[in-house]
Amino acid sequence: MAVATAAIEPETRARRRHPKAGIAYVVLGIALAAAALAVVGPGRETTFALDRTIGDAQWTVPTRTTVTVLALLAALAGGWLLAGMRRGLYRLVSTIALAALVIGLITWAVARPGVVFPVEAVLAGSLFLSLPFIFGALSGVVCERSGVINIGIEGQFLMGAFAGVFVANIADNPYAGMLGAMIAGALSTMLLALLATKYQVNQVVVGVILNLLALGFTGFMYDQLKTTGGYNSPYGVASNALDGIGLGFLSGIPVVGPVLFDQNIFVYIGLFLVFAIWFALFHTRWGLRTRSVGEHPAAADSMGVNVNRLRFWNVTAAGLISGFGGAFFTIANSLAFNKNMTAGLGFVALAVMIVGRWNPLGALAGALIFGFTTQIADYLDAMGGSPVPGPFLQMLPYAVTLVVVAGLIGRAKAPAADGVPYNPGDQ
Amino acid sequence: MRLELQGLTKKFGSFTADDDIDLVVEPGQIHAVLGENGAGKSTLMNMLYGILKPTSGKILIDGEPVEFSGPGDAIAAGIGMVHQHFKLVGPFSVADNVQLGREHTRAAGVLSARAARQAVRDVSEQYGLHLDPDAICEDLPVGVQQRIEIVKALSGPKTELLILDEPTAVLTPAEIRELLGIMRSLADSGTSILFISHKLKEVQAVADTVTVIRRGKVVAELEPSASETEMASAMVGREVALTVDKTPAEPGEPRLEVRDLTVVNDAGVKVLNGLDLTVHAGEIVGLAGIEGNGQTELARAVLGLLHPDRGSIAVDGVNVARLSPAARIDAGLGYIPEDRARDGVITEFTVAENLVLNQYRNEPYAKHGVTDAAAVRERAVDSIAEFDIRTQSPNEPVASLSGGNQQKVIIAREFSRPRRLLVAAQPTRGVDVGATEFIHSRLIAERDTGTGVLLISSELDEIYALADRIAVIYNGRIVGEVGPETPRESIGRLMVGAEAPEPDAQDAEASETPPTDAAPPETETSSTSTQDSATPDTEMPDAPTPDASGPDADEDDATNGGDRER
Repeated sequence: MAVATAAIEPETRARRRHPKAGIAYVVLGIALAAAALAVVGPGRETTFALDRTIGDAQWTVPTRTTVTVLALLAALAGGWLLAGMRRGLYRLVSTIALAALVIGLITWAVARPGVVFPVEAVLAGSLFLSLPFIFGALSGVVCERSGVINIGIEGQFLMGAFAGVFVANIADNPYAGMLGAMIAGALSTMLLALLATKYQVNQVVVGVILNLLALGFTGFMYDQLKTTGGYNSPYGVASNALDGIGLGFLSGIPVVGPVLFDQNIFVYIGLFLVFAIWFALFHTRWGLRTRSVGEHPAAADSMGVNVNRLRFWNVTAAGLISGFGGAFFTIANSLAFNKNMTAGLGFVALAVMIVGRWNPLGALAGALIFGFTTQIADYLDAMGGSPVPGPFLQMLPYAVTLVVVAGLIGRAKAPAADGVPYNPGDQ
Repeated sequence: MRLELQGLTKKFGSFTADDDIDLVVEPGQIHAVLGENGAGKSTLMNMLYGILKPTSGKILIDGEPVEFSGPGDAIAAGIGMVHQHFKLVGPFSVADNVQLGREHTRAAGVLSARAARQAVRDVSEQYGLHLDPDAICEDLPVGVQQRIEIVKALSGPKTELLILDEPTAVLTPAEIRELLGIMRSLADSGTSILFISHKLKEVQAVADTVTVIRRGKVVAELEPSASETEMASAMVGREVALTVDKTPAEPGEPRLEVRDLTVVNDAGVKVLNGLDLTVHAGEIVGLAGIEGNGQTELARAVLGLLHPDRGSIAVDGVNVARLSPAARIDAGLGYIPEDRARDGVITEFTVAENLVLNQYRNEPYAKHGVTDAAAVRERAVDSIAEFDIRTQSPNEPVASLSGGNQQKVIIAREFSRPRRLLVAAQPTRGVDVGATEFIHSRLIAERDTGTGVLLISSELDEIYALADRIAVIYNGRIVGEVGPETPRESIGRLMVGAEAPEPDAQDAEASETPPTDAAPPETETSSTSTQDSATPDTEMPDAPTPDASGPDADEDDATNGGDRER
């Protein structure tokens, strides 16, 4: 009797079905294929080009066939998800399905006579546009891994964006502006750090207030500077940071060149930070302690880690990152400061952090998805003639957020003590 | 290390948690500190470990006075602590938990995973505590987690004194026995141990010296050879009965009938696998088993907190499987949950509010949907008096009560209305001797009014003390139903899933009870009515078989087994 009951069905553990995602991909795939067959004329063609490196390398594909094949591929992947598969394959298969759908849609959207889809420009732009999400999400990761919720990223962006331009103007140097942006971000998170650790105030409330404070303060300063003049002129940095150190020739490599070797310094700092913070979190003493403080502060305390001091400095350091991210909006884009120019991207960065499961590498992946959809929406909008109105295209990144969070990510687990103040007195 | 406390005192405002405590731990000694919940044991240990600052008094290590500003200082001074509630970071590996706070690093603070692993292996080998350094802590059983805590405590730069705060509270009997063995060998190798407990048998089994604390004061220094009654009286401050008086059960019609109950969890494992169980009116059925074999799920399914994938649950012959928990409560189901803080009380609510949680919608506590505060308060005053709940007022939040008193709030709530069936899961977990005595006698009284009682307990002592019939659960099904005089070793074998030991171990009347399905009431009656006269004879053979199911078996058979039936 005992032996019989000890056996658990191995099948339920080895293979898993994913009915919800599966049905979604099957339905979407078949719908897209059917629509393509019904609407797209047989003569339509889509042209892709390596626009930046080898201008005449162009590929032209028949739109209807390509879209149909990609859509059916997505449906097939959905069918596989429905039938059940080994555990590790889920992410791969659903990524393929999603990618097939997205590429199919793009193929259709840009199928217009005389239009050449600039593959390299779009990819390079995607990486560039993913930067605010990268910086914001990294700031969030550092805070929340230490157990402090930082919904004030939007406000830190604004402070950084403003202080960047302001300091650059005073010092007449964009790099001084970048430094100023970091310090402004750190100073504004220091308030959150202090209230969250020493005074144990609700972190969400503090974060909301800090956002509104930053919005009001930068808006006021903008109005002041407009009348004074001379402190809000755009400053920019070299568009190819590698040129300065003699590596500019690398940008000639097809696809990889424009994407990775023809970017300004913000891109390199962003990518460096992703890997540096990932390494620090998972392979250094600081990281071990930070994660322990975010998961189980009492355990860390009992081993002699000063929980609130570590949280304070981590949150402050996170402010350096999100403040620097703020400089993206002005200095990286060579723009002057404008009221509320961050447009809620700080909140999207928070979503990116969750999509990336509080992991810097995951955050990078999430940020790239957002950067890509933003870029595509911008491109389609700029190309004009799209049957979809511009504002709807601008909604695309957010719609994708919902789909990705609901479908691909599922339930993400936050650090256990995220947002919980730690008071060494109560055990 | 020789540790000496001189006049250690801790005050929280006007409340004195520890008052002028003197205590000496000699090198290589196991020094037990006995006391009820809320006696000030944990406060004392937290001062020793640098978590709390003493209001006055001194701590001396090897004659030198020391002052700790945090646990880091205590660790540096050679003190290691295993907390009652484990301080393990769940998603971390064993090695990471052990190295936290004193990491093995290469240059620039980069962790050396290999050194951390090796350090765990070294300490494990040195003390014979087997651990896999790469295992993730939250996936491990409680007993192993405790081993990690011990290795963690021993991995300090020079740990010479180990504080173990209620280390057996969450362990199975086998794990307890193993732990006591580890403690003994640690002491033999020169480590001093401060052993905080309120479990008398464990203290007797392992301690060299016993200090009893009551209401923050040292009230007695005893030898471990002191009797349990002596220790218990010192702890509680009055005479305590360690045995439960009860008359033979008079089982009536079936109150709870569980048939073919199957529950599959999220991981696809059948945590309940075709379980059958019957509880009759006026009897206590003890559900014995090692924790994690489906007890929790059974209790939750009976109350309706969990929806079974198959099977039926009938109360008084009516299938309740589709009813909401509220409807089942109204049908006369009482429930004492195993996780008191999560399922038993709302800790932020007051004592009075918690006392009416199952009736707040009903007259007289509410009229036309509005709570009648006066009626609730009146009820609270009555319950506090009747159940001896130690609280400053009915309006005190339950969180401010000790664990034993929180449990009394639950008992008072469940017992203060008419009910047909009571499911009591670990009713005395984390509860001190005095409160245990009280809860046990209330459970018997409850049975005598004709309620069917399903007692789920991981402590065999409790099962033996209360149950009229014992069902053993293993891997989600009942693997045996036996009489209360069945020897521990037979039940122990059933608990680990060894094949049917009943025939050789059991008397004729006990084996009348079929192993899976419930017996008809007549059989029950005859079996339990003979129990009274049969007990002295059948109990005796138990005593010489001490190693049956854990360390408590060593001692309690002599004391508890013999005079259990008065």
